[in-house]
Amino acid sequence: MSNKVKSTKEDKKMFRELFFNSFVLEASYNYERQQSLGFAVGMWPAIKRFYKTKEERAEALERHLAIFNITPHLAPTVTGVATAMEEKASQDASFDRGAINSIKVGLMGPLSGIGDSIFWGTLRVITVGIGVSLAKDGNILGPLLFLLLYNIPHLLVRYYGLVFGYKFGTSLISSASESGLITKMSKAATIVGLTVIGAMTASMVRMKTALSGNFGGVEFELQTYLDQIFPLLLPLAYTLFMFWLLKKNQKPTMLLFTTIAIGIAGVLIGVL
Amino acid sequence: MGAAISVGLTLAVIWFLEKMTGTSMVARPIVVSSVIGLLLGDVTTGVMIGASLELIFMGAIQIGGAVPPDPLFGAALGTAFAILTGEGIEVALALALPIAILAQSLKVVIFIIRSWFMDYAVKMAKEANIKGLITLNLGGLIMQCVIYFIVGFTAITFGSAAVQVFVDNIPVVIMSGLKVAGGLLPAVGFALLLRPMMNKGNFLYFLLGFILVAYMALPMLAITIIGVVLSFIIVFEKNDVQGVLAGNAADDEMEGLFDE
Repeated sequence: MSNKVKSTKEDKKMFRELFFNSFVLEASYNYERQQSLGFAVGMWPAIKRFYKTKEERAEALERHLAIFNITPHLAPTVTGVATAMEEKASQDASFDRGAINSIKVGLMGPLSGIGDSIFWGTLRVITVGIGVSLAKDGNILGPLLFLLLYNIPHLLVRYYGLVFGYKFGTSLISSASESGLITKMSKAATIVGLTVIGAMTASMVRMKTALSGNFGGVEFELQTYLDQIFPLLLPLAYTLFMFWLLKKNQKPTMLLFTTIAIGIAGVLIGVL
Repeated sequence: MGAAISVGLTLAVIWFLEKMTGTSMVARPIVVSSVIGLLLGDVTTGVMIGASLELIFMGAIQIGGAVPPDPLFGAALGTAFAILTGEGIEVALALALPIAILAQSLKVVIFIIRSWFMDYAVKMAKEANIKGLITLNLGGLIMQCVIYFIVGFTAITFGSAAVQVFVDNIPVVIMSGLKVAGGLLPAVGFALLLRPMMNKGNFLYFLLGFILVAYMALPMLAITIIGVVLSFIIVFEKNDVQGVLAGNAADDEMEGLFDE
């Protein structure tokens, strides 16, 4: 809502406070209101700045205790938007304060869609790939590099998401939503995520068959032929089989135990 | 005793850090197993177990309210038992999954207990009692960490002997079966990641990433960049081209066809 493009000294101080308060979002995660307690605590620097009476502060805190859930790294972006709206509400008595929560709820879905694809689906998968490639040989740099590579973008998105959310407030985000920009970003994030997950599946899932036969004195090893036609066909087939089972509403736990059973049974009968 | 305290503290402190730093991934197996290895005097094994468990728990991330098997407990206790019994990765793997699934219900209980806290939170908010809210928020986390310490400490103190007997009696074929399963289990993780993202329309992007490794063995970074370029072309560039074409063929009849 705020049209100021340059941040004042006071704005910057508030950004810093909001940034440091944003980390405890999930400290008391629960079923009833999910991340709301952490979110309300995180809004305090803004509430304290814009409202001076106890009644108004209480009302604002209670407003932000409404159920809330988002990819944690994108929560500060919503904090920024909510801050801009609280500022407006504190200046204009006729401002519809109910709109603050509707906007928050409206942002939860689309932003989580983007956040889950980018953070869980892409960034984590890539950084795990780098970390694991070192860690599998026992190199302690593996976990350290993983944490470093994951958290640099994490912290940048946390801070600049907050500033972006505040500066451009609801106007830009809602117009982005109308012009389909959010849908486009979500689609782009999905494409990158799927490509990366495909690549990781090929490098991380291991499956080889031990099947072999002897036809008229010619040794026939199935795996050798598979490698020539379509390398890693078995890992691909197995991953898609797991995906298909999930689509059929099988429980992940069941899949884990089925996989262990297949591993043991495969060795027993000499197929794997 | 010392090992039990180390493991209990690792569980409590790591979870505390994870939730005080906004889910910074310190509770992932690759980190947890390494820390356990460091504390129990075998860093190399810890790190290696961490690498295997990280892939197995690839899909175990909390999206929304659904609680997945808990990789923190699975990794911490699985690694600790593997190192304490002097066995390798296969033992960690065999133990980590059932432990993670048990710990899942522990988390569910904690989420239910903390739901009761919300009544107090609303009361405090009505009085603009921010100190109370901050304390309550942290208190909920500290309660969880204390429970984690107690459970971890108890599991190592009373579980080690039982696990030793169990491990000594695992037949060889089961052990090599577990090794094979260790290579297969990441497939479940990747399938879990794919479930909300992949459909008939975008399956080809997954296949593309797979092929780039299977046939061409390209490094991850190269594939990521290819993915970014591709997504830009498909999502942004292509639509612009259509816009340009519509602009060039700007007679009134055509306009309606290309307008979105």
